Amino acid sequence: MGTIAWAGRKIGGALVVLWLVATAIFIAIRLIPGDPAEAIMGGPGSQASAEALAAARAEYALDQPVFTQYLLYLGKLVTLDFGTSYSLKEPVTKVMGEVLPNTLWLSLLALALAWLLALCFAAAASNSGRFGSWLGSLLEIIAAAVPHFWLGAVLIMLFSSALGWFPAVDNGSAQGLVLPVLTLALPLAGFLTQLMRDSLSEALGSQFALAARARGESRLTLFWRHGLRHAALPALNLTGWAFSSLLSGAVVVEAIFARPGLGRSLLSAVLARDIPMVTGIALFSALVYIVVMALAEGLERIINPAGEQR
Amino acid sequence: MQRTSRTSRILAGSFALPLIGALLAGCSSTGTSDSTAQSKAPVTGGTMVYASGDAEPTCLDPHVGGNYPQALVASQYLESLFTKNDKGEIIPWLAESTEVSEDGLTRTITLRDGIKFTDGTKLTAEAIKANVEHLKDPNTASSTGYLAVGKVVRVEAKDELTAVLKLSAPDNALLESLSMPWTAIESPKALERDQSTNCASPVGTGPFKVKSWEHQKAVNLVRNDDYVLPVADTKRTGNTAYLDGITWRFIPEAATRYAALQSGEVDVIDNAQPDTISTAADSGLGHLDAPRPGSSNRIELNSSKAPFDDQRVREAFIRAVDANTGVSSLLFGTAQRSNSLLSSVEPLAYSEESLFTTDTAKANTLLDEAGWSERDEQGFRVKDGKRLSLRFPVSTNQSVPAEQSLFEQFQAQAKAVGFEVKIDLLDLSSWYGALAEHEYNLVSAPYTKVGPSVLRVLYHSDSTVPAPSGYFANNAQVKNEKLDKLLVEAEETNDDAQRASLYEQAQKIVLEGYYVLPLYDQQNHFLYGKNVHGIGATTAVSSPIYFDTFLDQ
Repeated sequence: MGTIAWAGRKIGGALVVLWLVATAIFIAIRLIPGDPAEAIMGGPGSQASAEALAAARAEYALDQPVFTQYLLYLGKLVTLDFGTSYSLKEPVTKVMGEVLPNTLWLSLLALALAWLLALCFAAAASNSGRFGSWLGSLLEIIAAAVPHFWLGAVLIMLFSSALGWFPAVDNGSAQGLVLPVLTLALPLAGFLTQLMRDSLSEALGSQFALAARARGESRLTLFWRHGLRHAALPALNLTGWAFSSLLSGAVVVEAIFARPGLGRSLLSAVLARDIPMVTGIALFSALVYIVVMALAEGLERIINPAGEQR
Repeated sequence: MQRTSRTSRILAGSFALPLIGALLAGCSSTGTSDSTAQSKAPVTGGTMVYASGDAEPTCLDPHVGGNYPQALVASQYLESLFTKNDKGEIIPWLAESTEVSEDGLTRTITLRDGIKFTDGTKLTAEAIKANVEHLKDPNTASSTGYLAVGKVVRVEAKDELTAVLKLSAPDNALLESLSMPWTAIESPKALERDQSTNCASPVGTGPFKVKSWEHQKAVNLVRNDDYVLPVADTKRTGNTAYLDGITWRFIPEAATRYAALQSGEVDVIDNAQPDTISTAADSGLGHLDAPRPGSSNRIELNSSKAPFDDQRVREAFIRAVDANTGVSSLLFGTAQRSNSLLSSVEPLAYSEESLFTTDTAKANTLLDEAGWSERDEQGFRVKDGKRLSLRFPVSTNQSVPAEQSLFEQFQAQAKAVGFEVKIDLLDLSSWYGALAEHEYNLVSAPYTKVGPSVLRVLYHSDSTVPAPSGYFANNAQVKNEKLDKLLVEAEETNDDAQRASLYEQAQKIVLEGYYVLPLYDQQNHFLYGKNVHGIGATTAVSSPIYFDTFLDQ
């Protein structure tokens, strides 16, 4: 299949997925109990007058039939207009644009660190004995299993309260990034190491690796030259998934470390029943997922063209 | 428990200073850091970092919506016409004097001369008119302030400094209502801007002004260099705040907030939790305990449906639980048990301890008498095949973890006499939803308001009628004609002694009807670093003002 046809199919598929996601969000939001007009007028427990609620309904077209609302909603999405945030009274795209760089930067750093750690762990594991290997896999499992909120709290207690090395809350400096990035990266690193280690030991135990050892290549060279290429593929394959898991982890991490970002916007939007904001962030996350998956697949086509025939 | 208010600054003469010290020592478990504040000479300069545990307000103008987080920040840049002194009495602030007509329908307010908003506009009667109109405009979407000025029909500017408020009915709570940050006075010129602009940079007369608001990061406040303290203070040398500014941050996680305070990343935190307050003194941190006015924190029993439509069952529940022990152990001694509907800062609060003593034998007898004499295999009482079951939706937003633990303890204690209590931990929207749908038998819903007129909001039968959103304030569903009459009369009388007597009778009816289990004041604790001095002054709603605050340089 040609690259253009592949790309065309990807884009078409992506549009269908986005439409389905948008529709699912629209339906889900209608199923939530509570009056959106109330959310507009200051959120839960508001004592807004009937007059004020009616004005809000008219302004946000909530007095229209559901299908009309759906069409209006889709029409706006096509022009990338996510509407106006109920609670902030500002365009959703503007609010998202302000905080998005923070979340992207945090996620990318965490992804890079997770890969770096995973490579180091995998290399160390392939060069260690039985006990080291056992200990390594134990640590990986623990790292992969700890929840972000717990890890974040422990890191703050250790490195901020006790040792005073890093700030507990964001202060705009690079130091403020250390703990949140670690919190996001460690579980992912554990997961990636587990993936790599399996395919790595498979690769290092294969015929060609034995042959290479016989030629006199050191274990380390073997690891970097042959093992890694095989081992990295499944992990790379999952990077799309990993990146979106970082976005969801950001919801927790941004709250713990008081960092501005998309995750924090999502959390407060959900609590305030800010429908346009929730819709905007959910759709954006779906879009990121689709794009990153397509990129990862594209990358795989480059690294391993033979995979096409599979 | 006493607390200082901003007005302690205006006490005449040289005794003002020691009095403040004494009051602070009385209300703070860590009085030592306050005594150093007295010995230290104030230093000008420095930016204080404040960390709030509340959700970031969506609008910095407390007219819009109107909740406590807005009041906390707005107390730095907006001021009210009236405030409270340390005895809980209402005194003029931006207003100079006030009088009310014989029929109680005309309230005249004379303003102080020479006060300016931070945009240069002068404080005049026209400003009062513009503010009341702003609160009453449906487009403002005011909830709290709108209710506070509910009886004000219109405002006339008689002359530059005299505003005349025309009322639909006499309202002796009006001055209390006008002491709250939700009715604070903003620049009329600034109010003319569109709402999102005014939300981002409201303009007032306070000791600080809003410089910028970086969403999710901070509200940056800077000193108002032209500030005029409405009431002169002998203790103060200058007229302006000591701090250059305040960085107002939002750190939702309690543990992070406390860690940031310990490491000195922030100087003051609010929403301090009982466990941290109890250890704060050991870390040399200062503590301000400023209980909120209005209602106490209490559990309300929904009397409009079974099984709490029977007073005996209500009393049985109240007698079954041991609130005294729970409050002191689970809240680490940071809160005093209350036996009142009103906050201890309300001078007219009435307590009746004997009604709320634990007595499980009596609880069992009452339930037997009420016909709940059989028990099912799980030990819960049953009547006509129905289990004695109570739904208790708890807002994780309003009930801190320590309070949730207290409720769980009550659940276990009530089980011993045969109640099944189903606690549902809910987010704020779902919680309000459950209340609106009447899916509750028990609920804890504190209400902050200055003065005893909060009783009318909470217990008048009119408050059982839901607002368009489904909200109603009378969660206990008290419908009592005699009580209604007392509450209305209490609000309309112009005789202080009669007012006190009427409110006492009203409180007795609610307390003796076992509609409510009072627990403690609405908790409002602040912790601050060793480097911070001069904390203690608050507004009428107990939100601190950092006018006297200074930092070690």
